[in-house]
Amino acid sequence: MQNPIFDQVWWVIGLPLIGWLIQCLFGKNVIQSLGPATGKRVMGSIAVLAIAASFAIGVMIIQALAQLPADQRAVSRTLFDWINIASIRIPFELRIDPLSMTMVMVITGIGSLIHLYATGYMAEEKDYPRFFAYLNLFVAFMLVLVLGNNLPMLFIGWEGVGLCSYLLIGFWYKDFANSKAANKAFIVNRIGDVGLVLGMGLLVSLISSNPAAVAGADGRWLSYDVLFEYLPSIVAANPAMATAIALCLFVGACGKSAQFPLYLWLPDAMAGPTPVSALIHAATMVTAGVVLLNRMQVVFAASPVASSIVVIVGLCTAIFAALIAFGQTDIKKVLAYSTVSQLGLMFIACGAGYYWVGMFHVITHAFFKALLFLGSGAVIHAMAHDQDMRNYGNLRKYIPITFITMVIGWIAIAGVPLTSGWFSKEDILHDALYSQQAMLGGVNIGMYAGWIGFFAAFLTAVYMTRMMMLTFWGGQERWKLIPAHAGGHHEDHHHEHAHAHAHHDHGPDTHGFFYTDEELAKTHEEHGHHHELDENHKPHEVPPSMWIPLAVLALFSAGAGLWLKGYKAFPSLPKDTLEKWLEPVKYAEEKAHGGAHHSPIPFEQFITPIGYWVGIVGIILGVLWYLRGLPKAEGWDLARWNPFRRAAADQFGYDRAMVDAGIEGGGLLGTFMWKVVDNKIVDGAVNGLAGAMGVLSKGFGWFQSGYARGYALMMLVGSVAILGWLIYFFNTTGGRS
Amino acid sequence: MNDVPLLVYLGIGLFMFATGAVGVVVRRNPVVVFMCIELMLNAVNLTFLAFARYAPSPLVPPGGQQHTWMAGQMAVIFVMAVAAAEVAVGLGIIMAIYRLRNKVDLDEMSTMRG
Amino acid sequence: MQSILSWLIFVPLVGALAVACLPDERKDLARITALGTSVLAFLLSLVMFVNFTGKSFHFQMVEKVPWIERFGISYHLGVDGTSLWLVMLTTFLMIISVWFSLYVNVKVKAYMALLLLLESAMLGVFLSLDMILFFVFFEATLIPMYFLINIWGGERRAYAAVKFFIFTAGGSILMLVGMVMLAWIHSQKYGTLTFDLVLIQSSIAQGDFWVGFLQLQAIIFWFFMLAFLVKMPMFPFHTWLPDAHVEAPTAGSVILAGVLLKMGTYGILRFILPLFPDVIGQFVVPVMVLAVIGILYGGIVAAVQPDVKKLVAYSSVAHMGFVVIGLFSLTQTGIQGGAIQQLNHGISTGALFLLIGLIYERRHTRLFKDYGGLKAQMPIYSALFLIVMLSSVGLPGTNGFIGEFLALVGAFQAGFAGFNGLTVVLPAIAATGVIVAAVYLLIMFKDMFYGPNTNPENQRLKDIKPWEIAMVAPLIVLIFWGGLYPNTFFEKMDASLNAARLMAVNPAGQRPSWAEPTHEITAKGQLVEVAPRENLWEGISVVRTISEGKLNFEPDTTLRAEATPK
Repeated sequence: MQNPIFDQVWWVIGLPLIGWLIQCLFGKNVIQSLGPATGKRVMGSIAVLAIAASFAIGVMIIQALAQLPADQRAVSRTLFDWINIASIRIPFELRIDPLSMTMVMVITGIGSLIHLYATGYMAEEKDYPRFFAYLNLFVAFMLVLVLGNNLPMLFIGWEGVGLCSYLLIGFWYKDFANSKAANKAFIVNRIGDVGLVLGMGLLVSLISSNPAAVAGADGRWLSYDVLFEYLPSIVAANPAMATAIALCLFVGACGKSAQFPLYLWLPDAMAGPTPVSALIHAATMVTAGVVLLNRMQVVFAASPVASSIVVIVGLCTAIFAALIAFGQTDIKKVLAYSTVSQLGLMFIACGAGYYWVGMFHVITHAFFKALLFLGSGAVIHAMAHDQDMRNYGNLRKYIPITFITMVIGWIAIAGVPLTSGWFSKEDILHDALYSQQAMLGGVNIGMYAGWIGFFAAFLTAVYMTRMMMLTFWGGQERWKLIPAHAGGHHEDHHHEHAHAHAHHDHGPDTHGFFYTDEELAKTHEEHGHHHELDENHKPHEVPPSMWIPLAVLALFSAGAGLWLKGYKAFPSLPKDTLEKWLEPVKYAEEKAHGGAHHSPIPFEQFITPIGYWVGIVGIILGVLWYLRGLPKAEGWDLARWNPFRRAAADQFGYDRAMVDAGIEGGGLLGTFMWKVVDNKIVDGAVNGLAGAMGVLSKGFGWFQSGYARGYALMMLVGSVAILGWLIYFFNTTGGRS
Repeated sequence: MNDVPLLVYLGIGLFMFATGAVGVVVRRNPVVVFMCIELMLNAVNLTFLAFARYAPSPLVPPGGQQHTWMAGQMAVIFVMAVAAAEVAVGLGIIMAIYRLRNKVDLDEMSTMRG
Repeated sequence: MQSILSWLIFVPLVGALAVACLPDERKDLARITALGTSVLAFLLSLVMFVNFTGKSFHFQMVEKVPWIERFGISYHLGVDGTSLWLVMLTTFLMIISVWFSLYVNVKVKAYMALLLLLESAMLGVFLSLDMILFFVFFEATLIPMYFLINIWGGERRAYAAVKFFIFTAGGSILMLVGMVMLAWIHSQKYGTLTFDLVLIQSSIAQGDFWVGFLQLQAIIFWFFMLAFLVKMPMFPFHTWLPDAHVEAPTAGSVILAGVLLKMGTYGILRFILPLFPDVIGQFVVPVMVLAVIGILYGGIVAAVQPDVKKLVAYSSVAHMGFVVIGLFSLTQTGIQGGAIQQLNHGISTGALFLLIGLIYERRHTRLFKDYGGLKAQMPIYSALFLIVMLSSVGLPGTNGFIGEFLALVGAFQAGFAGFNGLTVVLPAIAATGVIVAAVYLLIMFKDMFYGPNTNPENQRLKDIKPWEIAMVAPLIVLIFWGGLYPNTFFEKMDASLNAARLMAVNPAGQRPSWAEPTHEITAKGQLVEVAPRENLWEGISVVRTISEGKLNFEPDTTLRAEATPK
């Protein structure tokens, strides 16, 4: 605890921030003065260095932390009081504990690899420093998110990464579709953020009304140490509140981690550059929801209802997204839905009470999904920025390094035994099957989720095989024979292609926010910042700055499971490394553990073989299916697609319905309020009053003829009338009223 | 001194006032209207003087100081002074309007604009 | 030093007269004089700021001179934590407004004179402690603003100016009636007719002021509240705001959003909370319902506006809703949040109008359809706009978040505890306003800055000049300062806001009294009796003594050390 390295934790966040400032302030000048080639190299190196240095400090801190006894592995450092008023105090404080440091490793480690990759991928980009500025800023915010020692600090990071995601999705802002996707991401995330704010509001209300906490917390209601100390007894006494808070927080997690009702934004977010998709929309930001559930497990563990809902939502997401992935032809979209599906699996683990298993899958997923995204980026790079898999084929001949690394990623995500993905997925499904945490009305939701989860795993293997087969196997005539777009004669299927391309490149959200299809089509034409595919095209392998990250990630995708979990066949490997490491952050007593090896469940004997074979069977089926190249039923002619695939391509109409409802409904409502309520009713009332005054004044105005004689006459009549009344008055009352 | 009864003074006053009032309302020549206003003012003056002579204010106790008996006369002096001032201003305005339009007709002066 | 507040009010007034006396053709001289005056006023407010202590909730730097003695009306000024930051905001935004107004080229002299006149009146509102004086200044702000809109406004300026005038003047008429009623009750109970806010509040704190007038208290509450609801503005009295904003010249919009709207929320803190403790509880829910409607309504209507200024105007309705939510939660957190939110709204919305003004001066259009793709054309401008927009969205790290968050948390605490019949439902609905805010602001940003730049008019645009950046920069600094270290602001307001809360929620006899020097507020917001003033009191400006059953009031010039509980 006295180790001075802990005081350096601010640099972990500070270095990316400094990197960001350098990119913002000097980026343009450097590139102008050194020339584009050298300038970009310098700025790119600075960006990578900032994250790598942050990673190095992180490694030192994590080593120091590991030397502490397990029960003391929570160190906090306070910088200054952020909000300090009589009733609430929120310091700027960081928490160094196994959970936060694990995430720091993932973020800065994978982050620096992806930065390195991006220096190559974005080399042709004009706005080079702007890209790295956003990327560095994102890392800084992500670190605030995981390192902060209270929920508002987590929220700074939470919204901050949302902002960076918004900026990066809209990085190529000249295309309206991109900025619409960016808006969609931010707004849908905001829905989740409101859930988080509600949760924090309820937590503050709950804790600040507890006498013990009032005495001991010094107003730091939302700091984790206070929450961990007082919350268990409070929520135990108040299960309904626990459920309410847990559900509010879960809404937040759903938004950020793209779970079922709010997953909409993630596929559209693929409009951003590919390194962004890898870093933000696969490896780090989208796992923030799992981190949140890990942090607040004390609340979730107290509420079986909320846990069940977490499991149900996770399961629905896992299956739903996996089904949608079958209908996608854009390689990044397939990976995006796969990410959504995998996140669903992580939530199943968290809902089942095995929060650390969720983290395990976060880590392994970060490796293989970042690998797959970066690999897909390499493919896209090689294929002149065409993202449609129907244009690929036989690429294993041309880009062998990418091919080999992606194969490793593929078997990892498909769950071939001994790959990292297999370990974490096995843990999730086993633990879910035996969990007693997610009980809803006497039904063990976790157990059903475990069984159905195997199906999701099977689907994953199949659609990933589809993606790999379409990309790396099959004939290369699919891209070799496409005539140049500028060419005079178009074949029929090319029309189809252009049409399909226009719609699928940017997802089904052709409405965007308040723009018509014509406008979209117009802007779409300008999208091509690179030359098109044609018969002269020859794919090139990517430069070392891009394949080195691929290789490193491939190594971890293959070996992370053995490293973090161990396997019974290799007794020399340490066992359960990650579980032991994360032991100190388990604040919830795991009810699930009690039942883990005692109460047997039906069909228990099938679990282990299914776990071993489900991924392999999926791959074999997929290979058989796609061995002969692109099936006709998935070609350019959408009419020949079977109904399921067409529905899947359309996200089963869900996205369209939501976006329509949101935009058109919101627009109608807004216009109604503006034109009718504001202008007619409210203003109408006021104008009506004014009108009445006008009529009245017209009436009076008749007297004001302007003729002096008229006035004189009126005066006369008036005086006579008053006199008459006085006389009458005095006569009748005698002057006494 | 008391040969003429009060009622006669009041009657003459009423006649003068009525004549003046009718004149103000029906005539269009501002000069005539002024004369009619003068007529009304003088009718009031006449009544003041008559009352001052015949019906001294009940508020003044008998044997009160001398000047308190002069209230009516004082009012008349005031009215005459005000009337003189009024005529001075009014004739000035009428002259100004005449210069402007070569014509003075009250009914044409129905707006506040020049 | 003795009369710093009077200096503060009258320096702009004298400046206005000086500008008005300048010859017509010396436009530059008028501009320089106005700018100099506004800077001078800001310096004076800095002097006030430095001499202000946030440790006491009492009024400081008080000046009291009898004005109309037979009606108990006095020229009574003072500053406390509630008004301090609003005064600073006024003088600060005024410099920027005058600076921006260097763009104005028509009737420069009159424009500058009116701006300074407006400043004088606004400062008067925040500094006066006499109800009649307050009312005079409150109404006096309308006149310069009316002319600013009516002479230098857009196409429908006459309509907008009249609407602005009628709404706000009409709203405040009943407040005058309420003030007279308060003075009358005071004379009934204590034998002296007075419009002095401090005296009346102190009587209310003692407890017997409202005895027998409970019905009347409710009526007077609404008389005051109506004036403030119109001013803020709250649904359904908000329709004057979009028109006024759209038609007003840029400086007018900045002042309108930055300061004039705050007069409504300031009124709540200054009058509603301290004066109506017995009825405020029963009106918490209705007022909050209006605020919640305002938040959602303002946001949803903003989202469909084709005109950027109108969009920001409607967003003001939504943002001010959060202020009301916070203030009427009657919790420490909520009131602090509401108070900081009003400052932050002044800064970020002021900055938004300023930025819109910058582009309007170049393109002379406010319609979204005329813009698009400006990001490539004007990178610095778009970066500044992005920051200000995010502050308006309420992103953590910018000032917008602090106020919204604390106001919501406070409302949650109140709802959770069931204060005044509140439940967590209303704050939960209010929180969804944050989503709507993101929707309309992001649409605004997208429509102006993203997409291709197809309009040839826009392709000619150049990025903003250094002096324009310098004009916006202080606001940007404040946005981050307020977001990262809001304690600077809280420190000075803490005591006054906690006192205002206790005035509203404590039972009679335990309420803090502005005129009771032995009352003080601890850092935790508790009312304590402190040692007698002879040895310890410093800087307290007013002392209330009771002799022969009559209230006396005298300024205290002795300086006070830190208040310590007995």
